[in-house]
Amino acid sequence: MITVTINGKKLLLEKPVTILDAAKRAGIHIPTLCHHEILEAFGGCRLCLVEIEKVPRLQTSCTMNVTDGMVVWTETEKVVEARKAMLEFLLINHALDCPYCDKAGECDLQDLSMKYGPAAGRFAEGKRKHPESYDDPIIVRNMERCISCTRCVRMCERVQGDSAISMVNRTSKTFVEPFSGGRYNCEYCGNCLTVCPVGAIMSRLHKHTYRPWYIEKEVNTVCSYCGVGCSLTAQVRGDSIVRVVPEMEKGLNKGLLCNRGRFGYDYVTSPQRLKTPLIRKEGELQQATWSEAFAFIAQKLKEIKEKEGGSAIAGIASARCTNEDNYVFQKFLRVVLGSNNIDSVAGFAFAPAQRFFENIFGQGVTANPLHGISRSDGIFITGADPTTVNPILGLQVRGASRKRVPVVTLGHMPGLVRFATQRLVPQPLTDTAVLAALVTELIKRRPLSGEKPAFEEIIGKIPPVSLKDAEERSGIPAGEIGGCAEILSGMTNPALIIGRDSVQSSRGQENLLLLAALTYLLNGRIYLLSELPNEQGLVDMGCLPDMLPGGRPLAVESFRKRYGEFFSTEIPAAPGLSLMESIEGAKAGKIKALYIMGENVAYNVPDTAFVKEALSSLEFIVVQDIFLNETARLAHVVLPTLAWSEKEGSYTNLERRLQHVRKAVEGARSSGSMEDWRIIAEISRMLGTEMKYSDAGDILAEIAKVSPLHKGITYGDMDAGEFLWPYKGEPLRHDVSIAGIEIPEAGSLLKKPEKEALYVGIERPLFHSATQSRSSSALNSILPEPYVRLSRALAQRMSIADGDSVAVSTSAGTVELPALLDPDMPEGMVLVANNFADRGVFRVMSWRMHAATKSPVLDGMEATLRKIDRKTAEVSG
Amino acid sequence: MEKYLLRNIDNPDSAHLVEYVKAGGYKALAKALEMKPADIIGEVKNSGLRGRGGAGFPTGMKWSFAAADPKRPKYLLCNADEGEPGTFKDRPLLEKNPHLLIEGMVISGYALGAEYGYIYLRGEYPAAKDILEGALRQAHEKGYLGDNVLGKGVAFHLSVHQGAGAYICGEETALIDSLEGKRGQPRIKPPFPVNEGYLSKPTVVNNVETFANIPYIIEIGADAYSKIGSAECPGPKLYSVSGHVKKPGVYELPMGVTLREIIYVHCGGIAGDRKLKAVIPGGISTPVLPADKIDCPMDFASMPKHGSMLGSGAVMVFDETVDLVKVCLRATKFFEHESCGKCTPCREGVGWMRSILERIVKGAGTGGDIELLLEVAKNIAGKTFCPLGDGAASVVQHFIKHFRNEFEEHIEKSKVGASA
Ligand SMILES: Cc1cc2nc3c(=O)[nH]c(=O)nc-3n(C[C@H](O)[C@H](O)[C@H](O)COP(=O)(O)O)c2cc1C
Ligand code: SF4
Ligand code: SF4
Ligand code: SF4
Ligand code: SF4
Ligand code: FES
Repeated sequence: MITVTINGKKLLLEKPVTILDAAKRAGIHIPTLCHHEILEAFGGCRLCLVEIEKVPRLQTSCTMNVTDGMVVWTETEKVVEARKAMLEFLLINHALDCPYCDKAGECDLQDLSMKYGPAAGRFAEGKRKHPESYDDPIIVRNMERCISCTRCVRMCERVQGDSAISMVNRTSKTFVEPFSGGRYNCEYCGNCLTVCPVGAIMSRLHKHTYRPWYIEKEVNTVCSYCGVGCSLTAQVRGDSIVRVVPEMEKGLNKGLLCNRGRFGYDYVTSPQRLKTPLIRKEGELQQATWSEAFAFIAQKLKEIKEKEGGSAIAGIASARCTNEDNYVFQKFLRVVLGSNNIDSVAGFAFAPAQRFFENIFGQGVTANPLHGISRSDGIFITGADPTTVNPILGLQVRGASRKRVPVVTLGHMPGLVRFATQRLVPQPLTDTAVLAALVTELIKRRPLSGEKPAFEEIIGKIPPVSLKDAEERSGIPAGEIGGCAEILSGMTNPALIIGRDSVQSSRGQENLLLLAALTYLLNGRIYLLSELPNEQGLVDMGCLPDMLPGGRPLAVESFRKRYGEFFSTEIPAAPGLSLMESIEGAKAGKIKALYIMGENVAYNVPDTAFVKEALSSLEFIVVQDIFLNETARLAHVVLPTLAWSEKEGSYTNLERRLQHVRKAVEGARSSGSMEDWRIIAEISRMLGTEMKYSDAGDILAEIAKVSPLHKGITYGDMDAGEFLWPYKGEPLRHDVSIAGIEIPEAGSLLKKPEKEALYVGIERPLFHSATQSRSSSALNSILPEPYVRLSRALAQRMSIADGDSVAVSTSAGTVELPALLDPDMPEGMVLVANNFADRGVFRVMSWRMHAATKSPVLDGMEATLRKIDRKTAEVSG
Repeated sequence: MEKYLLRNIDNPDSAHLVEYVKAGGYKALAKALEMKPADIIGEVKNSGLRGRGGAGFPTGMKWSFAAADPKRPKYLLCNADEGEPGTFKDRPLLEKNPHLLIEGMVISGYALGAEYGYIYLRGEYPAAKDILEGALRQAHEKGYLGDNVLGKGVAFHLSVHQGAGAYICGEETALIDSLEGKRGQPRIKPPFPVNEGYLSKPTVVNNVETFANIPYIIEIGADAYSKIGSAECPGPKLYSVSGHVKKPGVYELPMGVTLREIIYVHCGGIAGDRKLKAVIPGGISTPVLPADKIDCPMDFASMPKHGSMLGSGAVMVFDETVDLVKVCLRATKFFEHESCGKCTPCREGVGWMRSILERIVKGAGTGGDIELLLEVAKNIAGKTFCPLGDGAASVVQHFIKHFRNEFEEHIEKSKVGASA
């Protein structure tokens, strides 16, 4: 026990903490500037000086730990004088342009100067001059206001892991330089902005448009961009979000955000938002009233159901919609329309991967808290770069690596190049061989626990792959793969992070088995990356062709009966069609009507031309969306819905945390747009099934009854924070079901590409995700243009320089894009993103249906590259 | 007195291994390798050796802290940054007697269980770099360095790292950051380098001259060593004398020799036999002394009692012709230029002092300027992150304390000028 006395207050402490923290506990405030709770101590501003008895010099309370018997005074004349002196020093070179500065009103320096500062300036000489810099998108720098506290630099380097900025120069000429202008890989996370105490680093989005005291309300909600589900606060004025800031102590992100969450919110106010319902008349989509639209939809669906049966109707749910929306949607399909044909893009990779692992390890196996990553003793990652797909999860990996936790990456991950202990970058199609070799090696090194004998038997049957064979396929030296096996075998409870490229592969099932084996051998915890905010919610709400809410398989009669009885109806026993099967069904004439809620299948699904053709052959398509996107343009009826910030509800993130999404603004509601669930409820009513919900809470209450997993849940539970799996519910208890697992042949593990073939894959840029980001002018200002990423070696061979125009062609089509050279890419691969209108990778990608997952296999798309010679183009054009 | 640190210095080939060995070099190393590491540390403790870098920290104590830390590997760093104006005492050791430094470091490395050493060399000493590297090569060839020193199964590797000219990189933690490839700025202490230094491992940083004393202690034993010079901090000491003396240069004298003896006996008195006005006794950051206060013994313990500090032992002598306000301005300019920018009072305050001094020297000073200077200095003093800022404040305070009249004269003159 440590006893300290601060300003006469006695304090008992278990562990030594800084004087600053101890004072805080005693309710004593010590002013600070360079200190920040999520950053390591610096001790530079000297504002927090305090007097300690028997110590001659004043000491900085943010750096000095208390010791037993210490007597501290924080408001003596000496301390007050020193504090005043520090503020005077800080102001002599400070611009003092508060009336003009956006930070005024929430500036630490301004506040402290008012409270403790000197009365009048005694500094007679000129201040330093430093023109405001607009060299960066999104961020504006004003170094005349910088007080050299280095909070931004410590944030960028130690937390964000980017080292995009640094203090340069010495003396009072010290300032922060440079973000990037592309030079230093700034990720535009804006986390430096959060910690800058003054107006030296600011967002350009709302420059000179508002003042902190203009904010009318603050709404705590959850980010709408990815499956991490960061907590954030939307600051609102005049029914629009003027700024998004993280909540310092709340949520899993604890004050951090990525560029999408922080800056990308403006898509909701895009002028492109749909405003009224549209009905196709004489081949054209024309404005219509809601009642017209409802009546038309009800009549068409009724007709088709009566004529062709419910199974001729399919529905596509949305990973951007709330649990409440999705729950109501699957109920609509199953109960009202009598169809199990319901699926979403979560069915492509997230859901099948989760199902595979749950069959072996039990339901909830992927429900692992994010912070477990940085606390683990090892990390293995494959299938996607977490720093771009799920950026805040990616920071956990970087944080772990800083603590010297070994990180092994399999596949190309630009955001982790400097953080991986060992990087394995195989040639295309050969990650399976490397995985198999790792499993083979680990079986030799790690004894089986005997915990799951049936699965151990399967592991035993996996054909061994030698390091040499893996080397020959992947091009990675056997020693490196063996070295990784060695690193892995030293881990006791590692995090295994898995992205969708491993799953949506022609060897997806093999990969999943190998990853499950790895998980078992290493006693690992699985994290499934999730590109969209509510993929897990789709699974848990039963938006799958063979799954009811709460992860209850449709095939189990008792579950089916219980669900049917709830709504006094009978649910068809046969599983429905997957998303891709529905689209194929549309083409084949089996599916007559498609009801799409918030998904842009004509863009987000590979082989755009094929999908468009399939959709065009449908008798009836309804699209609910916030934009008139590629899919909506093909619909018979389009209904405008509310965006994330305009409605209440909940998301379930990739840790399976349930989080409350709150309404921040009225937004499109004032022009008549409705929640997705409200539209569906209305149509249901017209089809004869009453859905009596007056708000999202009513739906949640019903979910709490229907889904055993969500038993008794309320928004209050979510608001209390940390509402984690298995909530208060009943997870499905089942035995290890390995019946469906096929033992792969050695040949399928050892597949390798045709010699010299070049493949095109999916790029997932940090600054965009799926399609909503393309309507954010903020994110477009960072990355306005798509590109093709290719290896430097390949580029050299083809004399392609950075930025050169390149045509990427496949059997499905051609896109022309500027080149981005990457020294760490494997040579046989080029990557193109799918985030930009008309130039997405899915235009040039065809796909095959995977036999087991019924989802599209995306690898193995051969491509050719051609440098576009401007001169020739000019001549011929 | 018999020279030890500068022994052999008049031999033009003193830097050569052969000459060094001829003069008895590397014998101490052979002797040390027969001793137990702990006994070497014990000897250094008993010798009373205090670090020659400026702070005068007891070397044996520093070593025992590092030795007690179980973390491995341990590192040994030689501070050869010698960046303080007036200080050039390490230079003859580096350029003329590099093997003495190497021998001292190998013994120290063995005593501490450190297998890697680095010499952080001042950027502006390019000649020393070549000489040192040559000496390291020779020592390596002859088995004084390497995996198996003198065949005793002891490993010690040593290399030179050149600084980039920042004075602050002489501060040991800034030196370590710089060596790690970072921006050189002092670190928060604790943890001290002896526990978390280079690459977060236990690290001993000593000055060139400190290491140069080690072979001597081994050679003659702690007892004999502790009888040289002052009882409280014994040993031979290098004094670099510059300014208005007849014979400026580096002198090896026993600790505790008086400032007067250095100036008037060893350096032959003031050039042109003019009158002495002031002395800065231990490098630019130590308080200036007026001419009547030079009967002080030059050692770490005595100097504070006489109103200054021993610092690096860099004696700067000013005769009656010197305008001390200009000296004060020059010194302040140096501190401003070298302020690393980490902490508020030094970063902003020293520049402010400089601008006030500048206007006084330019003849634009006003009545309140001396008080303002003292006020700013007081607001810096005792509040900075590292001693550099403190030093800057103390320089101004002491110049005003002892020579206030000169400041007042400048201001008087400007008043006359202004009214004319
Ligand atoms: C601003 C500043 C500059 C310093 N420069 C030097 C230097 O150039 N050489 C040196 O040996 N010590 C210098 N020091 C002292 C070192 O921090 C450290 O105390 C010394 O290297 C320890 O060695 P010693 O114990 O052998 O004296 C400096 C200290 C400060 C605060
Ligand atoms: S925006 Fe993020 S990456 Fe860029 S400088 Fe700031 S903290 Fe670093
Ligand atoms: S820009 Fe802001 S956070 Fe960065 S050093 Fe300057 S004042 Fe501190
Ligand atoms: S990591 Fe995901 S949830 Fe968090 S701010 Fe970024 S996009 Fe939003
Ligand atoms: S006193 Fe402060 S600003 Fe000056 S050199 Fe030391 S740490 Fe840097
Ligand atoms: S807050 Fe303690 S030194 Fe800045």
